[in-house]
Amino acid sequence: MGSGERGPAATAVLIAILLVLVPLMGLHLLGSVGLSVYLVNVVGQVMCFALLAMSVDLMWGGAGVLSLGHGLFFAIGGYLSAMHLLRTAFAKTHVLPDFLQFMGQTRFPAYWHLFDSLPLTLLAILLIPGVVAFVFGFVSFRSRVNGVYFSIITQALTYTAMLLMFRNDTGFGGNNGMTGFHAVAGLPVGGAGAAVLLTTLSTLAVLVALVGGRLLITTRFGRMLVAIRDDEPRLRFLGYDTLWLKLSAWCLSAMVAAVAGALYVPQVGIINPSLLDPSLSLEIAVWVAVGGRGGFYGAIIGAVLVNVVKFWLSAAAPSLWPFVLSLLVLLVVLVLPNGLTDLSNRSRSWMADLGRGLRDSGRRRPERGAG
Amino acid sequence: MARMLKTGALALVALVSLLLGSSQAFAGMDRSAIVGLLCGTGSHAVMQGADEMLANLPTASPADLDWARAVVQAFSRRTLRCGGGGVGYIATSGGLIDAARLEASPPVSSVLRSPFPNLRTRAALDRLTAAIAVLNAPAPEARLAAVGILASHSDLIPPALAEAALKRTRNPRVAEALRGLIVLQRLHAPDIGQRVAAIRAMSENATSRTENELKSLRADPVYAANPRVAAALDHGIAHVRLWVQVGAVLSLLYNGVSAGSVLFMSAIGLSIIFGLMGVINLAQGELLMVGAYATYSVQQIIRMIAPGYISLYPVVAIPVVFILTGLLGILIEWTVIRHLYRRPLMTLLATWGISLLLINLVRVFFGTQNLEFDTPPYLTGGVAVVGDFFITWNHLAAIVFAVGAFTATLALLRFTSIGLFIRGVTQNRDMAGCIGISTRRVDMLAFGFGAGLAGLGGLALSPIYNVNPTMGTGFIIDSFMVVVLGGVGSLIGTAVAALGIGLVDVGIEPFYGAVAAKVIALLLIILIIQWRPEGLVAARGRR
Repeated sequence: MGSGERGPAATAVLIAILLVLVPLMGLHLLGSVGLSVYLVNVVGQVMCFALLAMSVDLMWGGAGVLSLGHGLFFAIGGYLSAMHLLRTAFAKTHVLPDFLQFMGQTRFPAYWHLFDSLPLTLLAILLIPGVVAFVFGFVSFRSRVNGVYFSIITQALTYTAMLLMFRNDTGFGGNNGMTGFHAVAGLPVGGAGAAVLLTTLSTLAVLVALVGGRLLITTRFGRMLVAIRDDEPRLRFLGYDTLWLKLSAWCLSAMVAAVAGALYVPQVGIINPSLLDPSLSLEIAVWVAVGGRGGFYGAIIGAVLVNVVKFWLSAAAPSLWPFVLSLLVLLVVLVLPNGLTDLSNRSRSWMADLGRGLRDSGRRRPERGAG
Repeated sequence: MARMLKTGALALVALVSLLLGSSQAFAGMDRSAIVGLLCGTGSHAVMQGADEMLANLPTASPADLDWARAVVQAFSRRTLRCGGGGVGYIATSGGLIDAARLEASPPVSSVLRSPFPNLRTRAALDRLTAAIAVLNAPAPEARLAAVGILASHSDLIPPALAEAALKRTRNPRVAEALRGLIVLQRLHAPDIGQRVAAIRAMSENATSRTENELKSLRADPVYAANPRVAAALDHGIAHVRLWVQVGAVLSLLYNGVSAGSVLFMSAIGLSIIFGLMGVINLAQGELLMVGAYATYSVQQIIRMIAPGYISLYPVVAIPVVFILTGLLGILIEWTVIRHLYRRPLMTLLATWGISLLLINLVRVFFGTQNLEFDTPPYLTGGVAVVGDFFITWNHLAAIVFAVGAFTATLALLRFTSIGLFIRGVTQNRDMAGCIGISTRRVDMLAFGFGAGLAGLGGLALSPIYNVNPTMGTGFIIDSFMVVVLGGVGSLIGTAVAALGIGLVDVGIEPFYGAVAAKVIALLLIILIIQWRPEGLVAARGRR
């Protein structure tokens, strides 16, 4: 991908960081390191966002398809995991969740019983977003909807889903969403144990996705994706069926996003339709753009950077955040079209230029096809 | 002696006749009896007194009406005082006056009771007040309002009252309202001919209210007993239902067209820009919002410098808003969009950043609350057409506005040189550049024009929708649906698609709700794209 020769190095550094982070979490369990539960939780949430950003990067950096609807898959994963948590909470307390009582129900609708079992829930977390992505991707890619068209239609999809979930009679808690989780794997929600467990799981998931993603893009499948990004019509003329390639990448990306959502919801303790707000899905694209598209490590760096600033500003100066975000978007888009990778490449080329007597220093790096 | 007796007797007769005569002149109402009943104990007596007064109102003299008004007013305002033996007084600032004669009363020694109007008697008093007002209120508006109150209790009003009131008015609106009241009352008239005529007259005015009114008549035993009444009623109901349905269809169409007009105003700029540059402007909804805020600012400035002309602000705002939002669009194009050519996905992000910036700037300067607009008199109300179908002026203004924008854009694209350039660049940018068209300038002007149109959309929206900083976010997705459906860069396609989506939205909403309407619209669009990926009207060109 893009800056191919630098990819492995950056990946190695990231893997190293992650490998250090995971045991740190574990150490906290023993109560010896000074990370507070809040910070552990923040790290876990940021890791979920990083995973989400990687899923968007698989499509955008990989196949040149920008999804502005990944909030939908993230939310589906979240809702499914919330349903499992509510069922396990009910098994302990025998108190029906508020939103079901509010709807006048006296017990769970029948299909909720499926979510009693953890393996079934995990299966659903992969399967349901996969099927949704397949149906939507099939009708879109088959009729060659791509580029800006595709982006906006994905946005319309999550917008419509948001309107749907805001209604109380859709049956998933409406406006207030679902909350009141009791325990994750026997550890009380909000406690140190659960926070460490979830953060470790999220970090591991990022690690697995990073290694898997890097391996994937070196395979034939990955190279075909890049070819689609650079010139899809030519690939079609050469006799490749791009529909199924794009579709598989799209479904895989949706599943990864759903896993991120399923890990995210127990950490924040609530899910409501605000995850389906189109602006969240746009923000994911901003993380990827900030970090640099293609190769996954940029997505992780972007997600971590933007979210750390967001966590910090939301506490320090909440009214400033939208301004910072919008200026960041404009800065990245106008000055650093390939995100932070541009910065490192540029500084490197400046060094080289200095050596060569400042030739070509103003010239812009060639841009990638899927800009 | 005899003479003296005779004179004395004569004088006595004269005195008696004088006394009697004075009361004879007001024989229409037995004032003291009514006051006695009103002052009686228990609401039954009060109701009886009220009925007595109501029954006598149609034949009452002007003096009696004045008296009745004074007494009823005193009762309602709780200034009526009741002594023993059914004698009533009215408490005024100048002391007690006798309620039956409206003359200053000699000092009263006994303890006075002030009767309290309860729920039942309060309604009777309101009816009385209205019945008196319909006969002698000076202002026609007051009489009209009184007819409205009487119409909702038409079965409790003496039939002669409306006719008496009709004789005493020269105002055509009051007279028409009274005739309606008479028809309403004759629906229950004992005379069958009158009933049938009333049913016919009633069904002439076909609204869902008259439909319900007529349907309720079926419960009347006469409906079952008399075939003539039954036939007239069934015929009347069928007639009214037909026109009510026609009206419902028309108002559905009207609302759909007006929703479509608003969609068109926000989508037209998007469509031109997308067709021309392949760029989706996610800040289009925010340009709409800026247009609404500019309208508001124009209104505030006019209120400050020329409050007399406040009702003209929408007209003054048209050029101001167009130029302001157009300049803003040019600024956006010049600072951001032009650096992002051939990178449409990045433009998407950039314009989203701009929309976020605009929302938050407006939030800082104007606050987050909904803006209060003075709706000028020529944009309030409307006119009833058929059934329950009302042509409301504010929606009509939006439709007229959209038609105007459509015509102006069409003319600009077809008949001006800049329009020719826009069409040329839309069809083939490189070729247009080769033959000497400054594509950059065309882009800038087109972007400004599209932004200005969006701003005008905001102006047209301001009397219909809530105006707040986030009002634009809902529009961008709907507008894009319009562009996708209509075909990129096609003006006529955009208009057709906007009308279609507006009609689908409005048509589905009453049955399945607004969310279902959105879901169905999205599914329809995804399906239509399967069939016509280029949209309904594909623009010619090589891109």
